[in-house]
Amino acid sequence: MVELTPSVFQIGPQYTEINWSEPVSDSLLIKRLSLEKSLLKDLGNEIDDLRVAYQSIVVKWKNQFPKDQFQKLIKITSAQTATLSDTVWKIPVCYGGQFGKDLLNLASEKKMSEEEIVQLHSQANYRIFFYGFLPGFMYLSGLDPILSTPRKSIPDRSIPSGSVAIGGDQTGVYPLESPGGWHIIGRSPIPFFTPSSTPPVWGKAGDLIQFTPISESEYERLRRNPKLPEQL
Amino acid sequence: MIKDIANLTVIQTGPGTKIRDLGRGGFTQFGVPLSGPGDLEAFLWNNHLLKNSPGDAQLEIQQPGLKLQFEQACQICISGASSTIKLNGKNIACTGVIEIQEGDLLEIGKFLRGSLIYLGIRGGFQTQEILGSRSQLNGITDAASITKGAKIPFFTNLSNPVKTTFSHPKWDNSYLEKEEIRVYSGPEWYLLDPNAQKMLLSRVFHISSMKNTMAIQLEELIPNQISDILTAPVFPGTIQLTSGGKLLVLQQDAQVTGGYPRVLQIDEKDLRVIAQKAPGQKICFQLVSEV
Repeated sequence: MVELTPSVFQIGPQYTEINWSEPVSDSLLIKRLSLEKSLLKDLGNEIDDLRVAYQSIVVKWKNQFPKDQFQKLIKITSAQTATLSDTVWKIPVCYGGQFGKDLLNLASEKKMSEEEIVQLHSQANYRIFFYGFLPGFMYLSGLDPILSTPRKSIPDRSIPSGSVAIGGDQTGVYPLESPGGWHIIGRSPIPFFTPSSTPPVWGKAGDLIQFTPISESEYERLRRNPKLPEQL
Repeated sequence: MIKDIANLTVIQTGPGTKIRDLGRGGFTQFGVPLSGPGDLEAFLWNNHLLKNSPGDAQLEIQQPGLKLQFEQACQICISGASSTIKLNGKNIACTGVIEIQEGDLLEIGKFLRGSLIYLGIRGGFQTQEILGSRSQLNGITDAASITKGAKIPFFTNLSNPVKTTFSHPKWDNSYLEKEEIRVYSGPEWYLLDPNAQKMLLSRVFHISSMKNTMAIQLEELIPNQISDILTAPVFPGTIQLTSGGKLLVLQQDAQVTGGYPRVLQIDEKDLRVIAQKAPGQKICFQLVSEV
């Protein structure tokens, strides 16, 4: 198989984008994590900021773009040094009712029962790809294509923190109260972003998460005594 | 060395007054916005004159009508937009270090040029520090901005005060009049059709009333045939083009990733030029050829 090297795009003198034009997959994530690792290891002193998303890494250089070192590094980092973790986080979710106000609509749109939606959503493993949008918002892969639903044309003005939602072919959890256009199917009582902790999140890119249905009384109990999710 | 904590009291403030420092550079990987100063050079100038550390926290002021009372003596510096400043009811110049005595009342009135003022204090403001920064932001710090009645702690009795001289140090304000913003092509620039590219680089744009510390929306639309992209990294100074043809110029509190095409990136040195513009003012983009 031909190993596709990523394309490199220089955004002015200070930013470099590295982009893989291939579909989102675990193997793409391994490539990205491997390159992130060697960038930080070999050129860490030159890097002011490094931001990542599905198919790309953008580096902001402190001073000048270290062209020669960078090109050498890109060539040798076809070696995949990163491995995906086998950590699985269990995220308790109270689906439907007052916590998942769009579940009923979603179910009737899909000509399914609420239980079927919940079962599909909670039986999958989701991979954390990166954080973006809001502090602590995890971009996840792994939503069952049956659950894929276009975003709302008019976003909700306020979505409570902990809301579990579906938007396009993605699912995610709102770590903070925010406006948003995704369909809310449930809510989790655990914290997803704790500003007073370093790091402020419990998961890292490459970890898996699983949603576990809980009752309203279990939700209330966990909300009163919030704790980090359990690992399988 | 004696370092006592004293407070200043905010008697009156317009919206958008915030504590700022150099921001949360080490935490963007967790989706945390940078939240540095909109006008970095003006911010660094104050700390330089006050012999502070470069990142000591200051006030970023976006609206006239700020009134502060100092509980104890201190030294302050004001930079960025020019405005009418009164100390105990008398107009004062805002260049150089200003000596403040116990009980002094400082007022920032009408903005004459520019739209962001920095007020630095010897030793820096000592407000809550979260994730390595005191910069205020909704969802991160307890208070999202400074409001009327707030008490802001600072050090008094610092044993090595800055010597104030009669010669006023030079600060070049001409960037407040500048309208050309130097830009580089962003990753999705080449997806734009040539007419849209030409329009972006040749026409005059106006700052709309949709201006905040997350983004500045420009008034004029650009015809856009590019569809949204898979979520990708963005930075302060990234210019996004929405499916409706709106241009969004990302600012210090912007998200770290976004799904709109990234058509241009503002040169680091010109971030302050656009950040200092007020709604209704003009700008144009100047493409710098690749190095």
